[in-house]
Amino acid sequence: MATPNEKTVNVFGATLTRRQLMTAGGALFVGFGVVGAAVVKKSVKAVGARNTLDATLPGSWIEIHPDNTILMRTGKSDFGQGTTFTAYRQIVAEELNAPFEAITTVVMGDTDRTPDGSGAFDFLGRGTPNIRKAAAYTYQALLDLASQRLGVPKSQISAKDGVVSGGGKSMSYGELVKGQQLKLTIPVSGDLTSLMGLTVTGNPPMKPVSEYSIVGKSFRNTVTTSKVTAREKWATDVRLPNMLHGRMVHPKTLGSKLVSAGELDKSRFPNAQIVVKGNLVGVVAPTEWEAVRAAQQVASATKWTDWKGLPGSANLFQHLRESADWKTTPVKKSDKTRGEVAPAMAEAAKKLTATYELPFMKHAPIGPTMALADARPDGTVYIYTHNQNPQALRGEIAQMLGTTTDNIVVRSYSGPGHYGRSNGGNAGAEDEAVLLSKAVGRPVRVQWMRPEDFQWSTQSPAAFSDVEIGLDANGKMVAYQVDHYMPAMQDDRPVGAVLAGLPTMAAPNEKADFIGSTANDISDPWVYDGVAILMERGHGTFQVGQKASPLAIGLRDHSMRTPGQFQQNFPRELAISEAAALAKADAIQFRIDHAREERVIGVLKAVREASGWETRSSPRAYPALNDAAALRGRGVSLMFRSGTYWACVCEIAVTPGTGAIAVEKYTIAVDPGIVVNPMQLKRQVEGGAVMGISHALLEEATFDESGITTRDWLTYPILKMADVPEIKVVLLNRPEVGSYGGGSEAANALAAPAIAAALFDATGKIARRLPLKPQYVQALLKA
Amino acid sequence: MVTITVNGVRREIQAPNDTPLLYVLRNDLELSGPQFGCGLSQCGSCSVLLDGKEIRSCVTPLSAALGKEVTTLEGLPARWAQQKGLSKVEAEKTLHPIQQAWIEEQTPLCGFCQNGMMIKATELLERNTTPTVAEIKEAFTTSGPSAHLCRCGSYTSIIEAVQRAAQVMAKAR
Repeated sequence: MATPNEKTVNVFGATLTRRQLMTAGGALFVGFGVVGAAVVKKSVKAVGARNTLDATLPGSWIEIHPDNTILMRTGKSDFGQGTTFTAYRQIVAEELNAPFEAITTVVMGDTDRTPDGSGAFDFLGRGTPNIRKAAAYTYQALLDLASQRLGVPKSQISAKDGVVSGGGKSMSYGELVKGQQLKLTIPVSGDLTSLMGLTVTGNPPMKPVSEYSIVGKSFRNTVTTSKVTAREKWATDVRLPNMLHGRMVHPKTLGSKLVSAGELDKSRFPNAQIVVKGNLVGVVAPTEWEAVRAAQQVASATKWTDWKGLPGSANLFQHLRESADWKTTPVKKSDKTRGEVAPAMAEAAKKLTATYELPFMKHAPIGPTMALADARPDGTVYIYTHNQNPQALRGEIAQMLGTTTDNIVVRSYSGPGHYGRSNGGNAGAEDEAVLLSKAVGRPVRVQWMRPEDFQWSTQSPAAFSDVEIGLDANGKMVAYQVDHYMPAMQDDRPVGAVLAGLPTMAAPNEKADFIGSTANDISDPWVYDGVAILMERGHGTFQVGQKASPLAIGLRDHSMRTPGQFQQNFPRELAISEAAALAKADAIQFRIDHAREERVIGVLKAVREASGWETRSSPRAYPALNDAAALRGRGVSLMFRSGTYWACVCEIAVTPGTGAIAVEKYTIAVDPGIVVNPMQLKRQVEGGAVMGISHALLEEATFDESGITTRDWLTYPILKMADVPEIKVVLLNRPEVGSYGGGSEAANALAAPAIAAALFDATGKIARRLPLKPQYVQALLKA
Repeated sequence: MVTITVNGVRREIQAPNDTPLLYVLRNDLELSGPQFGCGLSQCGSCSVLLDGKEIRSCVTPLSAALGKEVTTLEGLPARWAQQKGLSKVEAEKTLHPIQQAWIEEQTPLCGFCQNGMMIKATELLERNTTPTVAEIKEAFTTSGPSAHLCRCGSYTSIIEAVQRAAQVMAKAR
């Protein structure tokens, strides 16, 4: 029986309440717990508390146990970045002044067990992740507590390796919290089930970077070990008693309606069952193999209406330019827009006018989407899956079922990288698993097959840009104008809900605010501040086929690694390389000459040095084109994203006879400010580099008038090991910046403009369209 | 009912003979190493060793495993222990040098494909103890039913991990 003896302390806007517990049998309440936060909570959109931790409580984020171990929770789930297991742990340990190893447990991405939401993106990109502030508040509370316990003013307390000292006495964090009920309420704002989730607010003192001893070291990712030793529990491994396997029978086209579902051949599949709801057709069976074969049999007998409402990939850019509606959606301008373009262009000594085109690309996770759903008789739904934004998924499922979010629980497990596809809450199978489970009253595990994952998932939108650059007589850029055109980038409607005719958020439209908007924001921050006159416009429209499809589906798009920015950076960086050539200038020096920010210049100089770049203009003095002899060239690209500066140099060999490009060497310089974990960052960057080369050389999602024709790894090839170049990563650690920049994306976008510039350097021919497939390059070189 | 040998243990399976071996391993034997990546023998996520040869369990029927030795990621430590003649106590504390190298090089990003990568590496290093980078690339690209695909782009660290494992394995010989 505890007798409260309550004391309250204000901790930089958070409230610490301490109760001494008179514990008889040594029962301990551990960590930091609940206290009302009426003022704070008003700004937080209410979500049923039944299965949600209170984000105002540090105890929901961080638990300090009497045995000196620490548990941390984050709503962000890991998709291969490793950040939650390495960088986040390091940051928390650093702020707490506790050993890295003390953080023994990381709980992530479970809607009933983690405090904040948001997606698996921008882990560090805003410099101060929620978990850092939560740790900073917790640390201050620990100091207050130590002050009381040690009888020494807070200013005289110090902490190191999880031990507080003051007045000649010491006590471990475990001893500090032992036998007490501690409550600290921290301020948060936001909407839990929105894309961005909750944000910890306020300004607790944070540890000066100069005192860092844990951030900056290459700690290993513990989950790597469990994955390598087959001890990891993947989403694909979750099984429930009484569970059925499900397979979907998706419509014939992206605009087909169901005429009649095929009859299940019970003589062959005695245990299978068919589920039909609107245009949603699925098959369940006790064994996976029966479900697969029964679904194939049902599919072959199912009748759909025909639909031909897409332009086909061969006509895509003509369609976008001539037929798409760019008028309904307001034009976006960058905040750096300045000056009058027309007179400057009229006076320019030299001009570049060019159009650049990027195709639809697939996220193409190496494992197709799957989810296990358990729709229980009491109206609650449990979903076991691998999702970049479990809280958003929770909201979408609640909306689909017409229930409240407190009835929905999403549990996250490891799985294949999604690269953005599920950061708005769904990857494809989740809602379908719920609908099948609800229909049959048993848990159902829906696994999409490979072709479905290509043909029924979202993709990164195609885009084109018109660029105009004016140079003066000295070869200096005096004016830059770009018009970027791209269909809506983020359609988070769960596709099964759409097919079943159940409620979802609206299809992308011009009135939506941010997510689901058709607006095309300027996503590639301008880095050439020496250019006096700048006009950047973003034009948006509806998804291709969205309006024409009776299902309102069409080519559904979704943000993919470096979303929107890739589509805008490719034209800009290739155009800048072309402008440098017009000015007969070296492509790196030309960039440096037009930059003003010290970090932009720094990253360019770093990549120049690391790549052994020879200063000269492009194209090089190439020999006459000969079919068999490979020509070599180099190109550069530059980007600022999520607090990090990136520059990359690609060196290529192109064989004119075949048009085949081989990237031989790839050098990249990265300045994220503080490097939290060099080893993990290096691996992330290498991976992004490879994906970027793959995007540049190989990737295009093709479609005909009815749907996506890309259906497997033969029709959507990605880079193979044999084609990986020598990769050199240069990390620029700049503690003086004082914040962490993102490192898990951007590298994927840098390769394309650098490779295209290298092709120009090698051959004098400009390829302004991706991908740089042999056939295209060969034709270009022959032209 | 048929009997197959998986990681040195005879297992009785109640499934139709044409069931893909992958579904048997994952669902009937609850092994989590091999993953469903494509079901088309195009990516390598589902790879296992069948009598020491890397095969794609997603397109291999159960019947093809009869009378043969199946080794999955779970079975690599025991396979190494047996090859080295380690005692049972030692064997239980031992990882396959390939797994150890994958940890030391921090190779996996999402890690979904890495089962197949480690299986391929095992096949390679069991027949070629000192592969060159070109031979490693050839093994992972053209030697099997298809290239082993990694969407996260971890190929560089795979090459480094294979080289590290090769050194450790050569020393242990």
